[in-house]
Amino acid sequence: MIKFENVSKKYDNGTHALKDINLTIDKGEFVFVVGSSGAGKSTFLKLMMREEVPSTGSITVEDTDLTKIKKRDIPKFRRRLGIVFQDFRLIPNMTVFDNVAFAMRVIGTKEKKIRRRVPYVLSLMGLNEKARNYPQELSGGEQQRVALARALANNAEIIIADEPTGNVDPQMSYEIVDLLMRLNESGTTVIMVTHEHSLVRCFDKRVIILDKGTVVSDGGALIREAATSHINAVSEVSNEYVVPPEEDYSAYTQSRQTPESQEDSEPLEIQEDFSVAGGDE
Amino acid sequence: MGNLGYLTKEGFRNLKVNKLMSVASVTVLFSCLMLIGIAFMLLVNIEAFISGIESENVIMVYVDMEATDVDYIKLGNDLRSLDNVAAVENVDKEPAYEEILSELDEGLRTYLSGLEENPLPDAYRVTVSDMSKFNDVVNEIKHLSSIERVYENSTLASQLEGIRNSVTYISLGMIALLLVVSLFIISNTIKVTMFSRRLEISIMKSVGATNSFIRWPFMIEGITIGIIAGLLASAAVWGIYEFGLSSLTTMLSGLGTGVQVEFIDYAPYLLAAFIGIGVFTAVFGSATSIRKYLKERKFVELED
Repeated sequence: MIKFENVSKKYDNGTHALKDINLTIDKGEFVFVVGSSGAGKSTFLKLMMREEVPSTGSITVEDTDLTKIKKRDIPKFRRRLGIVFQDFRLIPNMTVFDNVAFAMRVIGTKEKKIRRRVPYVLSLMGLNEKARNYPQELSGGEQQRVALARALANNAEIIIADEPTGNVDPQMSYEIVDLLMRLNESGTTVIMVTHEHSLVRCFDKRVIILDKGTVVSDGGALIREAATSHINAVSEVSNEYVVPPEEDYSAYTQSRQTPESQEDSEPLEIQEDFSVAGGDE
Repeated sequence: MGNLGYLTKEGFRNLKVNKLMSVASVTVLFSCLMLIGIAFMLLVNIEAFISGIESENVIMVYVDMEATDVDYIKLGNDLRSLDNVAAVENVDKEPAYEEILSELDEGLRTYLSGLEENPLPDAYRVTVSDMSKFNDVVNEIKHLSSIERVYENSTLASQLEGIRNSVTYISLGMIALLLVVSLFIISNTIKVTMFSRRLEISIMKSVGATNSFIRWPFMIEGITIGIIAGLLASAAVWGIYEFGLSSLTTMLSGLGTGVQVEFIDYAPYLLAAFIGIGVFTAVFGSATSIRKYLKERKFVELED
């Protein structure tokens, strides 16, 4: 459970990025966080990753109070998160396999375990064939799936995806959200930040809309529509935010019931610890 | 974290991946260390040369040609009774004459050896124990009887003393300056390497790598650079020294002494110092630059 209580964040340069945020995200929930640029989305994520601390208020992730966590405990806390960035952040001179393995190596995982775990998470993302390729040989969508595989490598409890579809074509965007959805169905909490309203509309999930540092809407489909129009209205007046051209995702929504590439749309079963016989090492 | 093997491997991988940067760092550190080494060997040599001159800083007392054997012995006793005299020895004029003759050309030699008498005066070599009172001793000797001439090179000694001081200060200053320069350059190089790997660092941070884990490969990299540069610099200084020694000794022996400093005597110290400096600059450089670099990037607070 992630809990924001009266959280405000004011940067040293005077920017008031978040104002009195109160929200709770339950374990196993799937949440879209939507907002124009400058709405406070990135601050929201940074606070959740403990890259920033709130000026006032408190943030709790599961049983960890992020405002009180000791600095030396931050790395341990981060290991519970799987973070996916808009720009993938794959290391260009490492193969797909090594990119995923890197996340495990840097937290001191044994090579033996890595050799078993990496092919498994790659297969979840449908990337087994690409293990020996380098990131630049892959499409944007594939690269983002590698990043997702990396986020999964360490059994993250919470996946935080920062505009994961920003650099990916529409079909692939849909597939990536679909993958996140399936991860979520297997029990992982997923928080996805995006500004693609049309994509959000394809999925019936909770949407938190941020605007100028406050939550203007938090809830399901109906409120979501209302809030979207609110943002559109605001941006028309202030001209701060131009809604991107609506992508037509309806084809993919239908294809979700009868997928072409992925035959099964069952939830991805992520084994907590991919150990066939040995147990934890 | 029981993953030292991986970290070390990663450090070496970094070296290989950033070949150009590694070569640049090694070259820069190598040049600085080499200059330090040359300055040091020069200092050691000049030091040895001056001590050599000083130890030979004796007063030659030539006995009057008219003096009898009794006078000669009396003078010897007088000299020995002076304060501050460490030793007085007779200088045998026969071998000295032979030596002079051997350096002359054929005709002159034959002519001179025809003479019955050795034209050289008898002499005493007086060694002074306290160099600071050298001139007092010289004055006292000049007042003794049966003396034809007193020969001493105190001016040379005091001049050398001055040279020694300035050489020491200049060398030490140069060594200190070069140390600072190498420290600065190494930390800069590591900063650049780190910048080129900011992506990796940010990923490491986001998946929860500890700061020490992130630092370790950079340390390994720096230490390796330090050791390689240290070894190369020692070898280079050795080569340059052996090559330059002959001309140096020729130059110095013109001033009267043949002191020779063997590189091998100083090699272990030099090597240890070089590797020490290399490792220190590398560790210090990577520690400070990663701190600063990560702070700027604001990926995470740095203190762990």
